[in-house]
Amino acid sequence: MEHELMNIKNNAVSLILETKSREEVEETRVQFLGRNGTLTQAMKEIATLPKEERPEVGKLANEIKEIIEQMLTDRASSLASEKTSSKASTLDVTEPGVKPPLGHLHLITQAIEEITGIFSHLGFTKVRYPEIEWDYYGFTALNFPDDHPARDDWETFFIRQEPDIKKGGVILTPHTSSGQVREMERHVAMNPKDINIKMLNIAKCYRRQSDVSHTQMFHQFEGLVVGEGISITHLKGTLDYFVKSYFGPNRVSRIRPYHFQFTEPSFEVDVSCGVCNGKGCRLCKEGWLEMGGSGMVHPNVLKYGGIDPKKYTGFAFGWGVERVLMMKEGIEIDDLRLLYSNNLEFLEQF
Amino acid sequence: MNIKILDSWLREYLTTDAKPKEIAKNLSLTSISIERTEKWQSDLLYDIEVTTNRPDLMSVVGLAREAAAVLPQFHTKAIFHAPKLTTPVKQEKGDIKFRIKNDPKLVDRICAVVMEVNVKTSPKLIKDRLESTEIRSLNNLIDITNYVMRTIGHPTHVFDFDRLETESLTIRESKKDEVIETLDGKEYVLQGGDIVAEDQNGRIVDLLGIMGLKNSVVTEQTKRILFFIDNMNPKKIRKSSMSLGIRSEAAQLNEKGVDPELAYDALLFGIQLYKELAEGKIVSEIIDIYPNKPKERTITVTDEKIQTVIGVTIPLTKAEDILRSLGFSVQATKTSVSAKVPSWRASEMEIGEDLIEEIARVYGYHNLPSLLPPLVSDEPLQISRDPFFWETRVKHMLKYWGFTEIYTYSMVAEELLEGPLNEAVILRNPLDEDHVYMRKTLVPSMLQVLSENKAYKNVRLFEIANVYEKNGKNLPIERRKLAGIIKHSHASFYDVKGIVEQLGADLGIRFSFKAAKELVGADVYLEKENIGTIEELDDEIINFELNFETIIAHATLRKKFTPLSKYPAIIEDLALTVDAETPTGEIIDEIKKQSPLIRDVSLLDKYKNKRTFHIVYQSDTKNLSNEEVAEIREKILATLQKSQ
Repeated sequence: MEHELMNIKNNAVSLILETKSREEVEETRVQFLGRNGTLTQAMKEIATLPKEERPEVGKLANEIKEIIEQMLTDRASSLASEKTSSKASTLDVTEPGVKPPLGHLHLITQAIEEITGIFSHLGFTKVRYPEIEWDYYGFTALNFPDDHPARDDWETFFIRQEPDIKKGGVILTPHTSSGQVREMERHVAMNPKDINIKMLNIAKCYRRQSDVSHTQMFHQFEGLVVGEGISITHLKGTLDYFVKSYFGPNRVSRIRPYHFQFTEPSFEVDVSCGVCNGKGCRLCKEGWLEMGGSGMVHPNVLKYGGIDPKKYTGFAFGWGVERVLMMKEGIEIDDLRLLYSNNLEFLEQF
Repeated sequence: MNIKILDSWLREYLTTDAKPKEIAKNLSLTSISIERTEKWQSDLLYDIEVTTNRPDLMSVVGLAREAAAVLPQFHTKAIFHAPKLTTPVKQEKGDIKFRIKNDPKLVDRICAVVMEVNVKTSPKLIKDRLESTEIRSLNNLIDITNYVMRTIGHPTHVFDFDRLETESLTIRESKKDEVIETLDGKEYVLQGGDIVAEDQNGRIVDLLGIMGLKNSVVTEQTKRILFFIDNMNPKKIRKSSMSLGIRSEAAQLNEKGVDPELAYDALLFGIQLYKELAEGKIVSEIIDIYPNKPKERTITVTDEKIQTVIGVTIPLTKAEDILRSLGFSVQATKTSVSAKVPSWRASEMEIGEDLIEEIARVYGYHNLPSLLPPLVSDEPLQISRDPFFWETRVKHMLKYWGFTEIYTYSMVAEELLEGPLNEAVILRNPLDEDHVYMRKTLVPSMLQVLSENKAYKNVRLFEIANVYEKNGKNLPIERRKLAGIIKHSHASFYDVKGIVEQLGADLGIRFSFKAAKELVGADVYLEKENIGTIEELDDEIINFELNFETIIAHATLRKKFTPLSKYPAIIEDLALTVDAETPTGEIIDEIKKQSPLIRDVSLLDKYKNKRTFHIVYQSDTKNLSNEEVAEIREKILATLQKSQ
């Protein structure tokens, strides 16, 4: 009986090693271990042996069964990996992949998203106000005198429409600052006793100029913060935060005196040049690049917004989206008009 | 407005240890921007940007005075030397009687004198200084006017007195269509309202504050001059200068408002120079007509306000020192400071904040700390009601569906405007004819972009932007639109419809589609509202334009959980023969009506009058038997199958 079992084992081992596929492995398994398999039949016969022989032979039979099972499993998995390696030899990983569709967001959108993210982090609320606006919000309420040059036909676009008795003519907003007094009015209507404004207004603006550094339509982002005890130090803090977030931790900013109608004091904001790192080069002015204007909200503007300038102070800034985009490293576009040319060769770069 | 000044010229009125680089840097931080310093021969040239509120700094003397005020803040010594000017003594004055009839409504001050002179070229120093400041040197008579303007800050003019042929000048407003020829030989037709001087024969001899005229300009033969300084209404100058397009240095200065107190200084300095450089001799009375002397102004600001705006404590004594150094006369109490504004700052100093600016800038913005404003917002953030959230989401969705975003101009040319002209919002003063009308639709701009990118055969574009609609006497209505376009060979309406449907699916809204009446394509509906169209332009180009505001008003982040089914679905494909004209949407609706156990129906295939539908049957309460499904199938066939 032991001899017979050993024969079965040897037979099985040689057959398993000859198998060429998982199907053949399975056939071999059935041949030996199936319901009518050779080993299964032999094990049934153990019951016919004398009682004293049964444990020994039974043990041997079980060992053989385990060996065969193990070999079948091993053979099956080695056949599987052989198959994989033969496929690997025909796979050319340098051929192009099947790509899912991928379009492009305009650079302006990308900049706006980044700017929005930075100011949201500081608790600014994003708003949207009219692009076609009353002269009142665009100029009068921003403390522009009637005869200010910005109100000339040479600088601002006017709409062909009868002026309103109170709000004046209709203009294309030359700056996002036209949202300032609207935002103040919104807050006064909400809660006149406790003014806390932190506005971010990003919008299309329009001015009558077109050259390599100007387009008739452009974008600005405007910040307005009004509350009790808001000071120049807060403007500086906000500005620094933006500059380091948007341009990188190595860039620094400064404010210096300037002049705007709707702020007093007024500042020009500079960012250290990313090309020369503030040393001074062909692209910058003594190491600095001008980013745009800012200042403490003029008390007359607060008054126009219905806010008491004795109780509240505030700061505001309005910077060009195109401008900060151009000031980013790697995007030195020599003609701003390219941004709005909608040349696909250009758009698909970003 | 930029001005270029030589370092050596500045130092004629300023004694300081500060090196040019320090002057440039420190003035930029506290006063006006010195944008560049460049070598000029053996000297150094400052390129300075002067803001419109500081015409007093458009001069060497003004800059020296300002530098002397701010440089000591950086611990460098700086002293200002005002120009030494002497008033001519009586016996100098000649007997030529010359009268000026002024209109005080037009001109605030006129200073003038007649002198005998010798015309020649200017000495090298004058020529160099003028050239460095970008003024062309002509002859000593004209150079002196420019040199005085640059030094003192007040524009001046010189006439050939003998060419005037008159003993009086009358200042008046021009009449419409009067013609003048400026000294550079250009002819202008006046609009009326310009300030001019006419001689006793009624001939216009000067366009005041802007440019002299050919008929009275000095020549190489000039023997006697009328040196003439006029200070007038800046608004009128701006208007004339801009409408005539004469942007002379004088005009650009005068339109910002020049201190009338400087007029007399300019006269004296000029007389001095004519004596030195042109053997000048005074031959008339000195005329000084000064009808509109500016009012003196004193501004008071409290200590508390200063601290609030600046954000740090600046001792009041420090504030006083700063204001005094800038030429203010200062008086202080324990809690406030009052300052009388110097004449050269009178036009722009009005309120307490103006004083605070002076104090803060000279104290140095760079000396202030940077603090973040307090984080306070009582406005709850409702993301699903935030239009910007949805806009970003939709833009990204389209990007990942292969669309490229474009930004086209809001103003378009007439051929890109849809609808009647008289309903359009129109610019009164367009810059060019391609940007005149505020657009009513986005698609025409997209088609233009396609035509400008003809080489691209496979294109997907989108834009989200406003369109504009006239609204009677109110502000025009701005509506935000989402438009897209696809172009490729054999483009299908269903490609675009699928995009619109999936967009809706992601925003939690369901659009319906009806055949459009006036074009090949569909009107898109959201509930009962028509919110846009899909338009098949040809075999290649299909576009859509949707009312974005309505879409995001319906967009939702709300999700609803349906319990997972415990019982398997039975799926089968069912072929039906129908009228070829019957819309598939109707058939699907009809199939669904046949049993609540039909979970989903979709079109699998379509050929002539045969349609194959993919139908999913499922129950929440039990395993469906083949018999139950067969029953429903029979019902569908009975209702929809068209007998052949």
